[in-house]
Amino acid sequence: MKQSKYGLALLLFLAIPIVAHLLESIMIMHMHMQMPLLVISGFLMAPFFQRQFPKFFASWNENGIPGILLFTVIMVYWMIPRTMDDALTELPVEVFKFISLPFLAGIPLRDSWRKISNNSQRVTFIVFTILFYIMGFLYIKVPVQLCNNYLLIDQITLGWGYLTLAICFTTYLVYIAFIDSPKPTEVD
Amino acid sequence: MNTSLVNRKETSKLYEKSIKLLGMNLADAKLSKAYMSVAFIALLIGGVLGLLQGLERAGLIQLPYWFNYYQVLTAHGILLVVVLTAFFTIGYFYAGLSHTLGGLLPQVRTMAWIGFWLKVVGLVIAVVPIIMNEATVMYTFYPPMAASPYFYIGLALIVVGIWLCAFGAFISVAKWRKAHPGQHIPIFAFFATGVFILLFFGSIGVTIEVFTLIAWSFGWKPTVNVLLSRTLFWSFGHTLVNIWYLTAVSAWYVVVPKIIGGRRFSDTLTRVVIILLVITNIPGGFHHQIVDPGMSQTLKFLHMFMSISIGFPSLMTAFAMFYVLEKTGRKLGGKGLLGWLKKLPWGDVRFLAPMIAMIAFIPAGAGGIAQTTNQLNQVVHNTLWVVGHFHLTVGTSVILTFFGISYWLIPYISKRRLTPRMNKVGVVQTIIWTLGMLFMSGSMHLVGLLGSPRRTSYTTYGENATALGWDPYLIFLAVGGTLLIIGVLIQVFAVFHMMFFAPKGTTEFPIAEPEVSEEKTPAWTDRWGLWIVIMLIVVSMGYVVPLVDLIVNAPPGSPPFKTW
Ligand code: HEM
Ligand SMILES: [Cu+2]
Repeated sequence: MKQSKYGLALLLFLAIPIVAHLLESIMIMHMHMQMPLLVISGFLMAPFFQRQFPKFFASWNENGIPGILLFTVIMVYWMIPRTMDDALTELPVEVFKFISLPFLAGIPLRDSWRKISNNSQRVTFIVFTILFYIMGFLYIKVPVQLCNNYLLIDQITLGWGYLTLAICFTTYLVYIAFIDSPKPTEVD
Repeated sequence: MNTSLVNRKETSKLYEKSIKLLGMNLADAKLSKAYMSVAFIALLIGGVLGLLQGLERAGLIQLPYWFNYYQVLTAHGILLVVVLTAFFTIGYFYAGLSHTLGGLLPQVRTMAWIGFWLKVVGLVIAVVPIIMNEATVMYTFYPPMAASPYFYIGLALIVVGIWLCAFGAFISVAKWRKAHPGQHIPIFAFFATGVFILLFFGSIGVTIEVFTLIAWSFGWKPTVNVLLSRTLFWSFGHTLVNIWYLTAVSAWYVVVPKIIGGRRFSDTLTRVVIILLVITNIPGGFHHQIVDPGMSQTLKFLHMFMSISIGFPSLMTAFAMFYVLEKTGRKLGGKGLLGWLKKLPWGDVRFLAPMIAMIAFIPAGAGGIAQTTNQLNQVVHNTLWVVGHFHLTVGTSVILTFFGISYWLIPYISKRRLTPRMNKVGVVQTIIWTLGMLFMSGSMHLVGLLGSPRRTSYTTYGENATALGWDPYLIFLAVGGTLLIIGVLIQVFAVFHMMFFAPKGTTEFPIAEPEVSEEKTPAWTDRWGLWIVIMLIVVSMGYVVPLVDLIVNAPPGSPPFKTW
């Protein structure tokens, strides 16, 4: 339960206007720091909801696939440059960001990850890796400014952020495939 | 389980036992001996060059034009800071890998030998232009100063040699884990893994830099991005510092407790310290560029944070060391608040040298934290203070630990014994080194605060009063340097004596047992792949923003200059 409190505290901290403003002032921090932290806050809060509504999770997310799909849809939505712009200019969209990432991405991720099979975990990982490569090349190569609020250089920086993350993921995938495949029981 | 598997396990166990009883296998010993020999020859030559510099800086001698101060300084830096440390680290960890993993695999041994010769050849190729005054660029080789291309080619060969050794270590550890499912990587091999991961990933940036400099100095590429080069250099330079540190720390955690007859600190926490050092390290490099123009304030602030966070595992280490020392001292009968200190084996060089090294790290670390603070850095940047600082960190904390290690490692790999007489020689050597560094590093710190610049041969700036005021300190610097060269001579004598002339016998590779009430070490500590990925993510967090800015918003590049 302690974890859930930390999760809530993290969410509230991120919602403090100056914190939000600071993180949103740099494109890569907006996408690669604020958004993941929002997901993590939901991830931490998940046990509370799992305990409060066990039936809900059991019936709607029995084998974990719906949850992981929901997580993927929400993540992909927030990778679109336009959505970041909207979040900066439209309050309702900003509010939606603070609700969707923790509650519709973080919580389902936690609830689903253990339920889905090893192979589905790997597929998820691979899909996101590929997606990150694509986003990386996109943000680096597009010659025009995609967001009203961020400069071209911010965009290129973000692209490299995606590429390096994708490389990190690839390293990990290679590592678990060849060197240290965790036994099914010891996945943590 | 089928019987053949059981048999295989039994024989491999038997083999490991025999290694422990009979000492190191001969082929592995030869490898480590080769590495140690090069390391200590580098110490001898580098030390003599250091003395020449010290005497010149004090105005006592004047180096001739065909072998000037800056050539000597370049060679001193490369020999001591790259050659000595790299060869010692590899020789030491390979000996330890052979010992704790039950002998090196033949293919790993071959890789380490190829690595050895690549480094030696690379070194020769790099040193020749220095001697010819074609590469007087100091060991940091900052552009736009351009050395002869062969200098950079030599450096590249050295790096490739180091990579081969790193991969040899990874293969050894991976093979061992396959053969020992469910067991933890032995603590010494765990340290080696951390060090070689840093060596490999830490040198990627500088390799890219060196390749661009090769093209640039040959003239294939007209200009080079100066700030980018400096940044890539320090991503490596700073990591190198922590590689030595982690190497020294491995002896503090694992070897020193055994020598004083105690047990080592919590196995889990030791592993956590290693993991933390590996993860948080590389982005710290920016603190060497605090006064570089072209880096924003925010960025400098972020990296100040990264540097300070490396202080955390260091403080954990300090705590762990004093815990072990006090506990052992009390077990040996020490009473009262400080009585345990007296019970420690001060007359044993294998303890004395690393102990002084640890004590030296207290002021050294404090100085480091001061330097990484922007405002204080402005006061000491590029003064002799900085030189004083790293003679305390690497020249004392690290090197004295290495010296202490040599008094059991060299006999171990040579199948000889440390005699009580040689132990005395070692104690005297340690005291001389300590005094020498106290004088030299102390006066460097002080005169640096008064403004005396580093990397500058003796000058009074036209009898300027301030510059004249530095002279007394510089004399102390020369006194310290003279003591140090005596220390170097004794140490090199001791090493080769122990290698070839000491009485035959067996020496143990001292690895302390963990405490009895030990909690079980969690399995996640062994998941190096995960730590590497987290390390890479931290590296990207540190580097993506500044590098993109340095490249995309770069000013016109610089053509090569020969400033000397
Ligand atoms: C005999 C012992 C030693 C003496 C007398 C000595 C003396 C000196 C002096 C006088 C300088 C030049 C200061 C300047 O003008 O900037 C220097 C630089 C340096 N020393 Fe030493 N030193 C000794 C041992 C060591 C050791 C053991 C190490 C490292 C393992 C080391 C690493 C360095 C480095 C990296 C530099 C900086 C080179 C540069 O600025 O490019 N020295 N030393
Ligand atoms: Cu550093």
